[in-house]
Amino acid sequence: MRTVRKLVLGETWALPIGIAIAVGLAGILSAVAGSADWWKDAGGFILLALLACAFVAALGIRR
Amino acid sequence: MTFVLTAVGAALAVALELFEALAIVLAVALTRRPAAALAGAATAVLACALVGVLVGPVLVAQVAGDTLRVVVGVALLLFGMEWMRKGVLRLAGRRARSDSYAEFVAEREALAEVEPPGAGRFDWPGFVIAFKGVFLEGVEVILIVTVLAARPGGLAPTVVGSALALLLVVGLGLVLHRPLRRLPESELKYVVGLVLTTFGTFFCAEGLGVDWPLGDASLLIVLAIWLGISQAAVRVLAGARGGRPQPVEEAAA
Repeated sequence: MRTVRKLVLGETWALPIGIAIAVGLAGILSAVAGSADWWKDAGGFILLALLACAFVAALGIRR
Repeated sequence: MTFVLTAVGAALAVALELFEALAIVLAVALTRRPAAALAGAATAVLACALVGVLVGPVLVAQVAGDTLRVVVGVALLLFGMEWMRKGVLRLAGRRARSDSYAEFVAEREALAEVEPPGAGRFDWPGFVIAFKGVFLEGVEVILIVTVLAARPGGLAPTVVGSALALLLVVGLGLVLHRPLRRLPESELKYVVGLVLTTFGTFFCAEGLGVDWPLGDASLLIVLAIWLGISQAAVRVLAGARGGRPQPVEEAAA
């Protein structure tokens, strides 16, 4: 099971949890926005920014 | 462009995983008995094919439309960002570089210490080691290929890229009888991570109702942004040790 978890989720918990939070937040924003233009136009970059935060957190980079 | 990016991503991912599997099979074949190594590898390939047959249709049949895009996107993000994370750590000198040749040498040394089977007896230890090596690398290949192929229009480029990678690695294994020594594996794995993460971001956003401003051409913008973020991370991590990077993690894959 440990090997399977490592294969699918990777070596750390920080990255899969970060991805789940980023995609979850983007999903909430998408639901709130409905068919609004701002989400259709900028939603991709908002998701990218959330994922970038998750990535930096998983690398352990701190200010 | 999407076709080329998908084919390149699939080819690199498959080739790199197969190089690692090849290192283990060659180590068993050259140290112990080739028949056991080949039997173990062949059995693992059959087991991987079974996993592929089970996972692919289930993924496509159970989820559809926008949900499929989100599921595929998240799966690509899980693989891509993990490969990219390891790539950044390696390029920053925080993790040992990926080296199939070193694994090959270490595996041969470890196998040389295991007593060979008697005359006329099948080499079960060799079989199990070859099976385990090929199966674990193969399952990762199956998962990445299935996810890339499951998205709309993804089947053809994924098959083309994977087939080219398979021919290349098997051909090199037959000709060289050892893994490539000077392959920049760390850099190539980092590139695979970038490509998979780019696709993951793109499809996940589409599944959440986003219309990318330039359509498929936005893939290049997303790729450029991830390249910038990851390169900045490399510089920060490498610079954090005053220009004297030290490996802090052992390479696992």
